[in-house]
Amino acid sequence: MKNNIKIERARFDLTQAELAEKIGVSRQTINAMEKNKYVPSTLLALKIARLFKKAVEDIFLLEDHE
Amino acid sequence: MYKSKNRTVMQTNYLLPNKYKAFGWVLLVIGLIGGILMYSQLIDGELLNMKVFSIYNGESIFGNDQGFFKVIENGVLDEIVALFIMIGGLMVGFSREKVEDEFIYKLRKDSLVWAIIFNYFILILAVLFIYSFAFFDVLVFNMFTPLLFFIVRFNFLKHKSDSHEE
Repeated sequence: MKNNIKIERARFDLTQAELAEKIGVSRQTINAMEKNKYVPSTLLALKIARLFKKAVEDIFLLEDHE
Repeated sequence: MYKSKNRTVMQTNYLLPNKYKAFGWVLLVIGLIGGILMYSQLIDGELLNMKVFSIYNGESIFGNDQGFFKVIENGVLDEIVALFIMIGGLMVGFSREKVEDEFIYKLRKDSLVWAIIFNYFILILAVLFIYSFAFFDVLVFNMFTPLLFFIVRFNFLKHKSDSHEE
């Protein structure tokens, strides 16, 4: 799974720390998701999508082999 | 997981509050320094002689020598050092992070699994290659190594994922 968190974060002009604060997670979590090292829970994915005012599948995308 | 004040926190019933972590580090470091000093014979582990209550005291658990439920004389410094390392280590490893979320929870669980496997891997090597009374030292260290490997691995992973953004 890949995601557009970094792009959306730039669009909203947020740092990792600011995004983490808004969603209520640690900065490590944002960092790990952006580096595709962590697949978030459904709850966290929904919260991120809500913050960026987009559908979850516009931010989190399956890769071809998945 | 539950939602409180917009925090996506993990609901765990075994983690201590974050404030215990600092105190845990103090206990752990004092214990480790004490342990190193005792092992390098700089201080004697049988200091602080006092009467203690023993459930069992003897050369071996299956021998029938000194017997059960007695008050005996014992230097308690080594016991104190061991308790400091174990209690301090538990507090360090099982206190909440400032922001305890699902990713941190996963790091903690992964670190625990890693520590157990790594510890038994080392122990298997020790069983194969270390003999005689030196193996007793291995067993003593093994009282602490699962917890210590866990703490090192957890903090390593945590700091690795804390690298600054590009």
